[in-house]
Formats: sequence, C-alpha cells, structure tokens
Amino acid sequence: MDNDIVLKAENLHKSYGKVKVLKGVSLEIRRGETKVIMGPSGAGKSTLLRCLNLLTKPDKGRVWLENVELTNPKVNINKVRAKIGFVFQEFNLFHHLTALENVMIGLTKVKKLPKKEALRKARETLLTVHITEDLWDKYPAQLSGGQKQRVAIARALAMDPVVMLYDEPTSALDPQLVGEVLQVIKELARKGVTSLIVTHEVDFALEIADEIMFMNDGKIVEKGPPGEVIFNPKHEVTRKFFEKISKPYGVGKYGVLERISPSII
Amino acid sequence: MVFWKEFLPALFSGIVATLKLLAVAMPASVVLGVLLGTVRVYGGKIVKTIATAVVVVFRGFPLTVTLLILFFGLADFHINLTPYWAAVLGFTLCGGSYQSEYIRGAIRSIDKGQSVAAKALGMSKTQEIIYIILPQALRRALPGISNELIYMVKYSSLAFIIGVPEMFSIAKTFNSQWFMPIEVFSILAIMYLAMTTIVTLGFKLLEDKLKIPSTI
Repeated sequence: MDNDIVLKAENLHKSYGKVKVLKGVSLEIRRGETKVIMGPSGAGKSTLLRCLNLLTKPDKGRVWLENVELTNPKVNINKVRAKIGFVFQEFNLFHHLTALENVMIGLTKVKKLPKKEALRKARETLLTVHITEDLWDKYPAQLSGGQKQRVAIARALAMDPVVMLYDEPTSALDPQLVGEVLQVIKELARKGVTSLIVTHEVDFALEIADEIMFMNDGKIVEKGPPGEVIFNPKHEVTRKFFEKISKPYGVGKYGVLERISPSII
Repeated sequence: MVFWKEFLPALFSGIVATLKLLAVAMPASVVLGVLLGTVRVYGGKIVKTIATAVVVVFRGFPLTVTLLILFFGLADFHINLTPYWAAVLGFTLCGGSYQSEYIRGAIRSIDKGQSVAAKALGMSKTQEIIYIILPQALRRALPGISNELIYMVKYSSLAFIIGVPEMFSIAKTFNSQWFMPIEVFSILAIMYLAMTTIVTLGFKLLEDKLKIPSTI
C-alpha cells in the first residue's frame, strides 16, 4: 500500500436483510487530507463510516488502516479502533464521567498511560477544542450541545488517531451551536489531522474539503474537488441534491453560498 | 417484671443473629445479582443458560422450600450446612436472582451509543462493561436493589424454620411461653421497621451521592 494512504476501503458491501445499504464502495485517504462525504439520507453514508472501523461489519470488502487489514479476522480490532477517532452525531459522551474524565478514560484504560500523563494530555486536548478549564469538571448533562460535541472530538483526538471520522457531527445541534463545532473541525484539519467527514454543511465542505464524495443509493456516484462536485456536477442526482439543499423552500433567492448560511465561518 | 427481664436480652441476641445473617447475605446477594444480570446480557450461550436457570429456579421456588432443601436436603448428600450458612446461602440465591433482574433491566436501558462509543475508543467488551456500562446501570438499579434488600430484611424471619435463633424465632418462642402477643410482636415489628428504615435512608444517601449532576 502506498505509504501516504492511511485509510483504504475496497469494494464494501453491506445489507440489512433485503435492503442493500452499501453496494461496493471504495475509497482512500492520504495523510493530512480532508475528505467530505455528502448525499441524501439513506445513501449509506453513516454505514460506510461505521464499516471503516468495523462498528458495523461489512458483508464483503476490505479495509486497511495504514498497513493493517481490519477486515482480517486475526487482527485485534480493539487495537486498530484505538487509532481511529470517531465522532458521533449524537455525541455519545459517557454520561457518568466529567468532560475531563471522558477524555482521560481512553488514555488510561485503552492506551494505559500513567494517570499524570493522561491528565496532562486530556487538558491539553480539551484546550485545543476550546473547552476551557471551567468546563472540565462538568458532566455531559451540564454542557451545551456544542460543548458536548467538542468534548467528544477531544476524546477521540486525545488518542492521537491516524484518522478522524466524523458522522454528521453537527446534525443534532441547535443552529447557533453549529459554528463552534465546525470551527474546531476546520482548525484540526488545517493542522493536518486526517479527516473524513459526513456532513450536510455545504459551505463548510466547500471551504475545507480536498475532495467531496457524493453518495447515493449505496454507491459513490461522483467525487472530485468541492467546487466541481457542488457547482458543476456530472450526474443528474448530484445536481438535484445540491439544488434542493440550496433552495429548501423551492425559492432560490440567493446563490448557493449565501443561501445555506449559518455554517460559513 | 420477669418477662421483660428475660425477653429483652433474648431479643437482643435475636437482633444480633438477624444482623449477622443480613450482614453477609445482603452484599452477597447484590454481588450475585450483578454477576447474574451482567452474564445474562453479555455472557456466551452456556454461561447465559446457567445464569438464567439459576434465576428461574431461585425466583420460582418459595424461599421456605429453598431453605429446607439447603438445610435438610443437602444433608442427604453429606453436605452439612449449619442453619446460619444454609440461611445465608438461601437468602443470597433468592435475593441475587431478584437483584439480577433489576440489574439486567438497568443494563438494557443504557442507550446503545454508550457501548458504541466505548468500542470506537478501542475498549474491549470487558472494559466496556466495567468502566462504561455497569457504573451507569448500577446507578439506575439502585431503587430496585434497595427494594429487594428491604424485602430481605423481612424474609430473614423465615430462617426460623431451619432453626436460626434470629429475632422472629425468639419472639415466637416468647409469645408461646408468655402469651403476650401485643408486646412481643409490636416490639418485633418496630425492630424490622427500624432495619428497613436504615436501608431506605442508606440508599437515599447513596443515590444522592452517586447522582450524576445535570442542569435539567
């Protein structure tokens, strides 16, 4: 495998009963790249992301992280998962742990870092996502949605992952909180954190992505530079999708960029 | 009065005997309940079946029958338990079986995302159970656990049928000798009430202490 490619999936298939969710998806991400997956609900975006760290087991196809094949049954999947940061739509912070403890638990229990070192690393990472000291001892139920998602990003990031996977990280947030989370993801990507992001935030994708993959009906229909895919798509379904989300009420008074608004930073 | 002079010291020894039973059976039943409940959710096929069988049997048997089997029945197989240990074992098995259902229910009620997040961090199943699921599930199970322990305070009186000199058997004996049911049994009732109240208050404190802070 090309040394620069950190995550690679080949011909992934997944069905739930008779419903085929993934119909042969392949992708590669190089170190430092930011790729965005877009597409309508039910296209298989979340399933694809979950197949990449085997939270969902693909029926067919193979996945590699660096040079380790995750889909090889002999591989210790827990060890590989520790190197893949995963950020959930619903945050999934551990309810019984404070913000700081949420970030520390992976470091102490999975990476087996000494407590002192884990504490230092957790604090440092929380600051990276702009969670200030006054919030460290708060429990998830005491935090806003945006704060929760940033703690969740810190929890994943503190493990020094090879790649960060974000599954619609802002879809469960109130509109006014979306910006702070996108800002953090953007900053991390700019710092060279390899990222694969499923999102509906068009402006964000335009700004941050090295490549957009458009998914529909279990397949990657087209991919390319964001400007190309969004403004000049090759496929009818892609064009219709971006037209619809740019004119949610059927009236496109402004252009795509202005209309989709609050996410632009 | 002669009655009181004899009754009060005897009752005191009965209280001590009851407390000795509960001091072991209460924590043991909770531990057993956690084990059975956890295994019934996460265990492999064989252990799961064994755990389920234990629960079905000891929840299904009347406690009196369980106690008689443990004390008299096992003696036939040359397993001679003292009345005290037969009672402790019976209470633990019965209480643990009930506890396991509270625990199992609490584990099932933890949202799936917690488990998925633990996995995504690279935790093994055991780590996930110990560090993520049980700390949350046990908190939720606390009201049920305390409920069952309160029952245990009261059904500890059944130990009299295998001859444990706990406080109910003392009261019963005194009443047959002196026939003073009002005095004897109201004092006994107050003792049980005091014990159940201590359990209730203790768990209230524990629940408050372990409550996960929230703004809502």
